Parts: sequence; structure tokens; C-alpha cells
Amino acid sequence: MRSRAAHLAQDVVDAGATTGRSLGRDFAPILIVAVLLAFLPINYHDSRSMMTVIITGLLFAAYAIAFNVIFGSTAQLFLCVGALAGIGGFSAAMLSERAGVPMLVCILIAGVLAGLVGGLLSWVAVSRSLDVIFTGVVTLAFSLSFQSIILGRRDLTGGETGMVIDAGSDTVLDGKVGAYYVFLGLVVAYLVLYRVLQRSHIGWAFRALRDDEVAAELAGVDVTRYRVYAALIGSAMLGVAGAVFAFHRGFIGPSTYAFGDVDVRVLVMLVFGGIGSLLAPVLGAVVFTILDEALISLAQLRVVLYGIVIVALFLGFRRGVIPTLESVFSRWRNGDDGTAVESGFVTDD
Amino acid sequence: MADELLRVSDVSAGYLGQDVLHGAALTVGQGEVVAVIGSNGAGKTTLFRAVCGLVRPSGGTVHFDGIDITGLATHRASRSGLAYVPAERHLFPTMSVRENLVLGAYPERHQTEQLEFVYELFPRLGERKTQHAGKMSGGEQQMLAVARALMSRPRLLVLDEPTTGLAPKLAIEAYAALGELRRQGLTILVAEQQVPLVLGLADRGYVLDHGRIQLTGTANQLADDPEVRRAYLGVT
Amino acid sequence: MTAVLLDGVVLGLQLGLLGVGLTLVYGLGGVLNLAHGQIAVLGAIVIARATNAGLSMGVAILLGLLSVGLFGLLVDLTLMRAVYRLSGESRVLLGLLLMLGVGTIIDGVLEWRYPIEALSVRITGAPVSVLGVAMSRGALMASAIALVAGFLLFIFLQFSAFGRATRSVIQDEEGARLCGVSPATVRSTIFVLSAVLAGLVAVTRSMTAPITVTSGFGLTILALVVAVVGGLGSVSGAFLAGLLLGIVNTVSAFTIGSYITTIVLLAAAAITILIRPSGLFGGRT
Repeated sequence: MRSRAAHLAQDVVDAGATTGRSLGRDFAPILIVAVLLAFLPINYHDSRSMMTVIITGLLFAAYAIAFNVIFGSTAQLFLCVGALAGIGGFSAAMLSERAGVPMLVCILIAGVLAGLVGGLLSWVAVSRSLDVIFTGVVTLAFSLSFQSIILGRRDLTGGETGMVIDAGSDTVLDGKVGAYYVFLGLVVAYLVLYRVLQRSHIGWAFRALRDDEVAAELAGVDVTRYRVYAALIGSAMLGVAGAVFAFHRGFIGPSTYAFGDVDVRVLVMLVFGGIGSLLAPVLGAVVFTILDEALISLAQLRVVLYGIVIVALFLGFRRGVIPTLESVFSRWRNGDDGTAVESGFVTDD
Repeated sequence: MADELLRVSDVSAGYLGQDVLHGAALTVGQGEVVAVIGSNGAGKTTLFRAVCGLVRPSGGTVHFDGIDITGLATHRASRSGLAYVPAERHLFPTMSVRENLVLGAYPERHQTEQLEFVYELFPRLGERKTQHAGKMSGGEQQMLAVARALMSRPRLLVLDEPTTGLAPKLAIEAYAALGELRRQGLTILVAEQQVPLVLGLADRGYVLDHGRIQLTGTANQLADDPEVRRAYLGVT
Repeated sequence: MTAVLLDGVVLGLQLGLLGVGLTLVYGLGGVLNLAHGQIAVLGAIVIARATNAGLSMGVAILLGLLSVGLFGLLVDLTLMRAVYRLSGESRVLLGLLLMLGVGTIIDGVLEWRYPIEALSVRITGAPVSVLGVAMSRGALMASAIALVAGFLLFIFLQFSAFGRATRSVIQDEEGARLCGVSPATVRSTIFVLSAVLAGLVAVTRSMTAPITVTSGFGLTILALVVAVVGGLGSVSGAFLAGLLLGIVNTVSAFTIGSYITTIVLLAAAAITILIRPSGLFGGRT
């Protein structure tokens, strides 16, 4: 135990030294993704329905990156991705519609609110040292309570019928192509944020406590603080994404941020790509958006398919596409076996 | 050593791909009491866990009564007559003494006679039939763990450090009970750090160090061995 | 108010039976069965289809319980075996996520094939007066079945050899193995039993309110709340928590309103976890 701690302590020192190294290698993938996705509207800009699909795909990529910050980095099972985005969406909508607050300010406040709620959830979970199942149940309870409030307080939220938001019309968020680039910008910004977090001391602490919490604590990592940081940042990202989407769509209802519609999909996308891997959320979102579109004629059967994909993925493919490819490549390049421990869920990028 | 009950051949085992035990070999004859002596971390527990199927050996074989039981599931080993009492005991804390014992005879064959037998051997358990196992003292828990193992009418009793956490007086009492079992002809394999106690009971012994058998001999030979005396008997 | 309390008891008995299945499976192997309610609905729809096809209600119910039992066995032998090969947090996480997937599949299949199917078991006859309150025969029958099932379960766990073995695996898996108990056999059996119990709850619930294809997720959440408040892994805790929450549910729905009631139940689970994670009634930590 002592030596593990010492080892980690050494890593703290090293973490400072490595910053600044391999800048290109760390950020190049984001640039490539940004450039590739930037050309998408050229093909589809005249199809309104197609652009709607693509934008939703980007929204889910943004959700999944935020979830990756919370779950991928610090293994906190937050089953309230939709609810946190919904806090952002509904608070922004209410501020804008009922108090006339400017759109950007609304989005900012949405992020802060969602961040505070997520941070609070995490703080409670960590300070009561809840395990993964209890964290999951508490956040799920929060998720469903939020859903109940949305449906129950129809005076504030419109209940079943939802809310119309006007502030986004006649802005860049109104047009499909404009909105596309706003969401692409959001995704790229989130990827950069994720990478910056990973490269910083916070990211080092995340990895340390994920790998071995006890040793991390011995080496002086304040476990509580870093878990809460991750939840705070990830939740704020969810709130902002939820709010931007509300202004873009101009309408939000109880199913916009529902557990069954958001959380399950985000989880599948992230696991497919590989939890804890930078580009996993983007890959997952792209693949499942295409799959969704291709299977649109199947209606309810899509839900079945989603279930089957979840089961199949978790059963046989927990490491996800990206880490698997990486280990195949590293084996091919180095001739050694780059296999990681198969039993775990989270792989390093 | 007429009939060989247990033969451990060249067994290696460990955790997470890291071997703790490197090719250990030992035999236990019918009716014998055999001791395994070694310090903390020598590999005694890993050896025993490999014998009773709690750890799958990475190499070597375990034969029980002539049958290869290497890697056999623990509950099958147990049902075939190999009873293991781990140092941590693994009792069922919120079940009564009686329930713990009855489970020892799972799937509950000839439990009534066995209950009488263990209550006679450990009268204190008979007095505390309805008490929760978790609420008993360390000595009573050790008694219960041994008694539970006896409920299955084992042919081989494997004990890992039966004196763990016991006061010296209780440790001596525990060995007195084991002596009684020995007189009744039970075959026992026991790991122990309290070397004088165990050598007083055993016929033969093995010294395990760094996952390897370093020395073997009769209890008397081991007690006279200068190396054993220095390392385990505190004699310089 | 007596009527409200009695309604609460009727609901509570069903909730208890629902929670017990979930809590047993979790206690035995750390799998939080997030498809528990969906399995109940699966049973209900099989029964509804069978009666539509002309079978008598009794035969249909047997068929329904048999099919969920078989479904449980199938899930256990395929998915759960893979889960139990892992240990620690990975096992818990995989179990939870796989069952979330199974629940989604059941939901999807039922909503796709039988979107308007529902089960209502009608018990005919005039209401019976209990403590001065006219109770429907359906409610009384449902309560009686739940009580008998709960009692039988108690006898089984407390006094049978297999029941004792089940409790031994919950308390100390390694100790159980050393006694000759096969955890895998116990887990499979109890997983099947838990599925059958879920199916039974679907039948008794449908005596007072119809079970539709979309009822699954709600039932799962109720089972989860009951199991958590009772202490995950505690059978008696689940029954007591079921009764308590049944009464809380009807009283709260009567006095405050239905959407707050949902939140009250969810909050009960969250607060239990934060203040007394071993459950309201358990001393086990």
C-alpha cells in the first residue's frame, strides 16, 4: 500500500512535467472530427428532416461527452443525464419566457443550475460514501422525481403539453444549418474541455482515484473534491446542452429529457464507443443516429433492438470499439499483446 | 502411512495471475495429523484454498482419496468429504448456532446424530444453540466453525490457523479438542503459526516458506531442527 | 380514513411481494433486477392472451407463471452466469445494466406486438364489509393471495434446507460453499422464484387495477423503492417496507395529490440510502 501511494505521489510530480508534451497528439483527433463533421451540411442542408436527425445526434454526442466526464472519469453512475439536461432546458425556458432574460444569460444560468444540482448529488453520494448501486438508485430517484415535477407542476412547465420557447427564433439557432454549427461547436468545445481536464492535475487525480481509490487517497488526492468537481463540470455541460437544445427546438415537453429517452441512449452510445475514451461519445452518437434513421420504419421494434444492443454490448463488448481498436493497433505496431484487463468497464484513452 | 487420503502434487496458485505458491507438494495419510508451518504470507492459506477449490491452481494436481479434484468447485469438494475451516471462519452471523451447524451438514443428511456428536464435543455450543453466531466470542466462534465443518462427517478436516485471535488459554483448549478428534481417528491437515502447539498434535509436518516446501519430517524431527527452532520456536 | 388505510394495506401487501423478489436476487449475487416489473407484465400479457384464446382463468394463470419462470431461468442461465463470473463493482454494474437492457427488450416487444393488451382479473361478488368499510372482493382476494404467498415464502426460507442454504449464500457466500451449498444453483432457483413472484403480483394487482403493457417500468421502480427502504437483501424488511409504503402511498395520494406521492416514494428510497443504507428495519450493515 505504501509503495503504491509513493508511486502515485511520483506521478503527481510527473503530471506537471508532461503537460505541454504531445499537444498535437492529444488534440489532433478533435480537430479531425471537427473538420469531418463540418462538411456534413453540404450534403444534407436542403433536407429539413435529415438536419433535425443530425442535430439530435450532435446533442446526444454532447450529452455523452458530459456523461463521460462524470461516469467515465470518476465512475459515478449518474442515472440522471436527462434530468440534469432538463434542469438546464426548463430553467432556461422559464427564465426566457416568463422573465424575459436574454438567451445567452439563460443558457449560462442553466449551466450553473445543473452544475450545482449535479455537484450536490455527487457531494451527497461521496460524503455518504455510496457505492455504485446506491449512487445509481439515488440519481434514478432524482431523475424520476424531476419527471414527476415536470408533469405535476403544469402551471410552471406546461405538464403533458410542454412549453413553447420563442427566444430562439430569428437567431442562429433557428435555421437548421446555423443550429448545426452551433451544436458542432458545442461538441468540439466539450471534447476540448474533456481533453484539457484529462491533461490537467484534475485529470490525473481522476485517473488515480479511478484506478485505485485507496492508494490515491494515501497519495493525498482529495477523493471527495475531485468526484464532486467531475460531477459539477459534467452536469453544467449537460445543463448548457439541454438549454441550447430548448432554444433551438422552440418546444420542450416531458419526453424531451425523460430517463427512457435520454439516459438509456446516452449509456448505449458511450459503452459502444468505449467508456472513458475521448471520441467514444461521438462515435456512439454517429453510429446510433444512423442506426436509428435506418430502422425508422420499424417503429416500436427499434426499442427491442436497443435492448438487444444493450445486452449484447455489455455482455461481449464492454471495452467498446475505440479501446478495442487501439489495443489491436498497438499489438500490430509493437508486436506485444496490448490487451487490457477484460473484466473492467472503463479503459484509459 | 497405509492409505493416502490427500496428495498435493506440484501445485502453483495465486491471485490475479501472480503466483504465491510455487509447486508445493504434500501428502496426508489416512488417520494422520499433518501440520503446515510457515510465517504470514508464506502461502499456507493459498495452498489450502487451492486444495478445497476456492482458488484454481495454475499448475499441479490435487488428489483426494485417489480422485483428481483439481479445480473442483468448493461445494463439491465439501460434499465429497473435504471440510475446510478458513482462518476468517465465514460463519453466518445472523443465524443461530444450531442453524449454522445444520447448514454444515447440507444437504442435511444424518444431521441429528452429528448435532449430538458436536454438542458432546463442544458442550458450550449446546448451551448456546439459539444464540446468533455473530454475537459469540472469538473462542466460541472458532469452536462453531470447527463444529460446523464436522457436521458433514468429513474424511479430511483442513484447518487454517485455528488459533487466530484466540487468547493462549483458549488456543490450548482448541488444540485439546483437536486431540480428541485425532483420537477418534479423524484425518487433519492444519496450518499454524503457533508451532509448539501444532507440533504437539501432529504426526508429521511441512515447513512452507515463500510459496515452497522447504523442509519436511516427523513432528519430532521438525521440533529438533535447528532452523525450525530458530525461526519458529524462538530458540537461538 | 379507515378506507384509505385499508386500501394502503391491500397495496402494501402487493408491494411487499414485489419487493421480496428483487431483494432476494440482489442479496444473493448483487444483481439489481431492473427488469423485475417488466417480467411481471410479461406474465400478465401471457395470461391475457391465453384467456383471449379461450383458456380458463386458472389455467391461463398457471401458464403465465410457468412462462415467466422459464423466462427467468433462461435469463439466469445465459446473462446472469456471465455476470456472476465478475466480482465487485464490475459485477454490480454489469448486472444492473444487463437487466436494464432486458427490461427494454420486454417493453419493446410487448408494445410492438400487443400495444393494447391488458390484464384484468375480475373477482365477482358483492363488496364485503371490513372494519365498516366496503372492500371489493378483488382487493380481498389479492390480499389473501399475497398473504398466503408471503407466508409460504417465509416458511420456505426459514425452515427448509434449501431456504436455509439461500440465506447462507446471502450472509456469506464463501461460508456457504464450504458447507456444500452451490451458490449457482441457489441463485438460479431464486431468480426463477423471483420471476414467478413477479408474475403472481401482476395477477393480484390486476384484481384491483388493470396491468397494461406500459406498467413494467413503474412496477420495477416500486419494487426498487420497497427493496431499498427495507434494506437490499432483507426479506422481512421488504415485506414491512411494502406495507409501510403502501399505506404512505394511499394516504399521500388521498391527502396531497398523486404527483407528489411519486416523489414521496422516491424520496423515501433516497433518504433511506443516505441515512440508513441497511434499510429501515434491518440491523445489518
